[in-house]
Amino acid sequence: MTNKIEEPTVIPLQTPSGHACETCPAHRAGNLVRLGIDMTDWDYVIALAGNPNTGKSTIFNALTGLRQHTGNWPGKTVSRAEGGYSYGDHRYKLVDLPGTYSLLSTSLDEEVARNFILFGQPDVTIIVADATRLERNLNLVLQVLEITDRAVLALNLVDEAKRHGLKVDDRSLARDLGIPVVPMAARRREGMPELLEAVHEVATGKVVCKPHRIKSEPPTLKKAVSELVAQLTASFPTLPNPRWVAMRLLDGDQQIMEALQRGELGDLTRDDPGQTTGHLELQLEASHA
Amino acid sequence: MNEPAILLIISLVCIGVALWLFWPDRGLFWRWQRARQMTERVLIEDALKHMYAYEEQGRHPTLESLAGALRTSDDTIANLLTAMQERELITLTAGNASLTTRGRDYALHIIRAHRLWESYLASKTGYDAADWHSQSEWREHELSPTDTNALAAELGHPRFDPHGDPIPTAEGEIVDRQDQQQLAQLRLNQPARIVHLEDEPQTVYAQLLAEGLHLGMQIIVIERTEQRIRFWGDGEEHVLAPLLANNVSVTPIQRDEVESGPFHSLDSLVRGESAQVTRISPRLQGAERRRLLDLGILPGTEIKAEMVSPSGDPTAYRVRGALIGLRKEQAAMIQIRSQDAPYEDAPHQGASPKDDYDEAAFVHAQNGEVSAAKKGELA
Amino acid sequence: MLNANSAAPAAPTPQNILDTATRLRWEVSGGVHESLVEAIYTDAARIADRAVIYPDKPPRFNLDRAIDQIVTSRLFGFPLMLLLFTLVFWLTISGANVPSDLLGRFFLDTIHPLLKSASAAIGLPWWLDGLLIDGIYLATAWVVSVMLPPMAIFFPLFTLLEDFGYLPRVAFNLDNIFKKSGAHGKQALSMMMGFGCNAAGVVATRVIDSPRERLIAIITNNFALCNGRWPTQILIASLFIGALVPAYIGGLISALAVVGVATLGVLLSFAVSWSLSRTVLRGEASTFSLELPPYRPPRFWQTIYTSLIDRTLYVLWRAIVFAAPAGAIIWLTANIQVGGISIAEHIINALNPVGWLLGLNGVILLAYIVAIPANEIVIPTMLMMTVLITGVNGGAGAGVMFQGNDAQTMSMLQAGGWTLLTAVNLMLFSLIHNPCSTTIYTIYKETGSAKWTAVSALLPLIMGFVVTFLVAQVWRLVAGM
Repeated sequence: MTNKIEEPTVIPLQTPSGHACETCPAHRAGNLVRLGIDMTDWDYVIALAGNPNTGKSTIFNALTGLRQHTGNWPGKTVSRAEGGYSYGDHRYKLVDLPGTYSLLSTSLDEEVARNFILFGQPDVTIIVADATRLERNLNLVLQVLEITDRAVLALNLVDEAKRHGLKVDDRSLARDLGIPVVPMAARRREGMPELLEAVHEVATGKVVCKPHRIKSEPPTLKKAVSELVAQLTASFPTLPNPRWVAMRLLDGDQQIMEALQRGELGDLTRDDPGQTTGHLELQLEASHA
Repeated sequence: MNEPAILLIISLVCIGVALWLFWPDRGLFWRWQRARQMTERVLIEDALKHMYAYEEQGRHPTLESLAGALRTSDDTIANLLTAMQERELITLTAGNASLTTRGRDYALHIIRAHRLWESYLASKTGYDAADWHSQSEWREHELSPTDTNALAAELGHPRFDPHGDPIPTAEGEIVDRQDQQQLAQLRLNQPARIVHLEDEPQTVYAQLLAEGLHLGMQIIVIERTEQRIRFWGDGEEHVLAPLLANNVSVTPIQRDEVESGPFHSLDSLVRGESAQVTRISPRLQGAERRRLLDLGILPGTEIKAEMVSPSGDPTAYRVRGALIGLRKEQAAMIQIRSQDAPYEDAPHQGASPKDDYDEAAFVHAQNGEVSAAKKGELA
Repeated sequence: MLNANSAAPAAPTPQNILDTATRLRWEVSGGVHESLVEAIYTDAARIADRAVIYPDKPPRFNLDRAIDQIVTSRLFGFPLMLLLFTLVFWLTISGANVPSDLLGRFFLDTIHPLLKSASAAIGLPWWLDGLLIDGIYLATAWVVSVMLPPMAIFFPLFTLLEDFGYLPRVAFNLDNIFKKSGAHGKQALSMMMGFGCNAAGVVATRVIDSPRERLIAIITNNFALCNGRWPTQILIASLFIGALVPAYIGGLISALAVVGVATLGVLLSFAVSWSLSRTVLRGEASTFSLELPPYRPPRFWQTIYTSLIDRTLYVLWRAIVFAAPAGAIIWLTANIQVGGISIAEHIINALNPVGWLLGLNGVILLAYIVAIPANEIVIPTMLMMTVLITGVNGGAGAGVMFQGNDAQTMSMLQAGGWTLLTAVNLMLFSLIHNPCSTTIYTIYKETGSAKWTAVSALLPLIMGFVVTFLVAQVWRLVAGM
């Protein structure tokens, strides 16, 4: 029994921004190398994002089996796992991002996850969500969808939800989010084939997502964002996510501001973004002395 | 005397001396280091700040006022003024010193550095509000214009420091706040918002903080006598001596801007009760505020106290399906409107406050009729 | 488009865009960040509302809540915690005994002679044979046999509790106590992990997401008496303290002494946390939140596999990397002679006066210097050196670490001039001294700061000197009266 999405949920209207060829990989191999990912033997790179405690690592382990490698992110004390699998004729590299609730704050975990999706531009980002805490999880989902168009929602723990008497309508969710939604019970390996297929379809461009964009901003924010987006698109016509960049600039995100200033937007600016505040930390330490 | 006793005494003396020398902040070594940094440049910069402040108030800085502010002798000041004149920072005419354009720009840079550093401490570090000013008094002399600009960028170019003082721009422009007045002068029953808390002297500032005053707080004066000013704010009655009230600036607001309570905070929620978040207190800033926002604690969010740690604190709240432990001090910063829907097995149903209670209290407050009993109930 | 600059022919420069952003930032009422978060959650709530169909009536019985009510109840919360952790430690200690013994005998009694005869057969020069087999091999074998079994039991057990979702509840229960010393409730978990291995404990502080509290947890982790130091404590306590009382309660008293030292460590870590949070770490940012995730049945084999790979082998590998050169150095100091006596003896003689001041002796200090890589080899190194300088019977030759039975050990130590004071101070010093080099290296990796690494290494060392010095002098004063 497959849980493939119904046709109307995903409307193949647009080509993925910035890529002429629909079926070609979307990732940036050069940036990935700087993020510590070697793509020589792989066709596609898949990022695995999600809140902590959503069964993200269960899915990761189920997909990669023993073909995994753990270590730290370059220059960071954030642990990272990567592995791979083959599906159809393609080899997929799977990168497990740190579990986070948001991508808006300044914690190291969030920085790593954000940078990977933004600068590494994975071919597909699997977002794992806990069906029993959907609203809370959607916070991260909506943020990821502002950064990337290529995502699949792995709606995990539907068995738990059922135990609590909850029913999650994955079709309505897919329609609202504009991305494939795969209900899963990863512990029992339910939904795995469907997830693989959905990832395959998005990676190869068979399915083109039309992700949800945040709509409920107050008018003043909306106005500010659109003014900034106009400027951004004038300067960087190929920027895949000008709205998100505009929001980060308005929020005063130091990293994005610097990426912009150096003209490296859409590129990985630094391997060690921790340097941003390093200057001030040093000063702060000096003030103790 | 035997050997161990001598050794013991010697070592205790050594430890004592070491503590005396290196005790954080107050140790002799740190004091000596600070005194060493007290160079002519620092004195000049402090003098410029003082003169700027005086000129802003339309007063003339004098030798005495400078000596008082810089805590040095008149002789030192006299030498200092000559040095400043040589550098074209001030002009000395008929015994009156006044800032040149250059001096004014320099002074504004120091003020900018000071206020930006305070903003930095407030939003990025864990220092107490009472420490911000004294830390910045040192840091302002070490930040170059380039450092200051980098700092401003990192902080997202704030326009006001955490005390509500405007931060001059890199070009030396500074917002002039015409609309503010001192709390001591505010009319009775005129709703107003606190826009500035003076951070000097530190003891006064600490008292203002201890009273729970914060920027953005809405207040209404209900009684003013020679001895005290009584006012209502954040659902509590506050009393200040006029001397303290002079250090609080407010700007009057329209009656329809007044937030009508309720002013319960989350820590008053009894286990099993639910409530709706009205806002996170403006007192909470920086990383701590962002953390609560990320957890989905926003105006309108349903929140329920689910369990209390056996050691009394923290309490775990159900927020958007997740169970999150928050400490009492954090919960006190989250303001709620309680709902009359206590959990079936709530132990203290009778004590659950009524929805419209605070609104009534605020109206009473406006009429100057808040009784001590009500205050007690609210607390 | 509302772009004010759209009339300009050239595309805006990055600086233009930044300036626009800075200007617009202040036009957003209520602040950009809060408006944004609010907007996201509003959308999330709307979408979730449409997608989730809630049950008409909430289920009568909620297992999660039922478990929570027990594990965080005033009545059962603490006793349950105590019971569980006692069980974990008991399983670790009793379960590790046999395999540790087997491994030790295998590595030391079977492989070691084999290697020796093999090297004799191929005619290795004595110094190479000694350096490689008696030095490097023995130290490494020692570390592996002492360290591997308890860690292979402790870490999986701990990870199972973690996986089940119980550990956040422990942090929740204990947070108030940690809060009073300026720390985070989750420090309870990294401390607990520290009882297994401080390096793992330092890594475990990653769960603390507040910078100040995390640093506190890292710096104080060393006061959790780690697996490498338990054997020292147990041996010294049973030889010297257990011997003070009649034999039938000797075991109990020496066990109490060890528990007392461990408790002292916990108290010290509270005290140090308290003073750090009020002094040097005052300015670090601090935020608290403690998510209590839903309970999940742990995946047994998966957990065992990953905890063995991620924690046990990781820690073991680092320990080996550091222990091997230490073994070489120990052997070299004992065998290179300058002016008729070995380097070790020279150093011991030089350290003896300092040792006396601290109520210890030169052998102990030297053992602690060369055993910085791993606390496991402190005892064998001390015994070897004692034999070296006293020339009593026993031992296995210069630079060859060994461990004998209790009676032999006792007589050797007494020949080395050990008293009850030496024993007590050794127990204290073993608790309060610099972390092992594996831990120091881990601290450096985790904090990325030489300054905090230095603080974590030197603070306990200085404290150890002060404490042993004071105890020694007071002891002598009282004994001399």
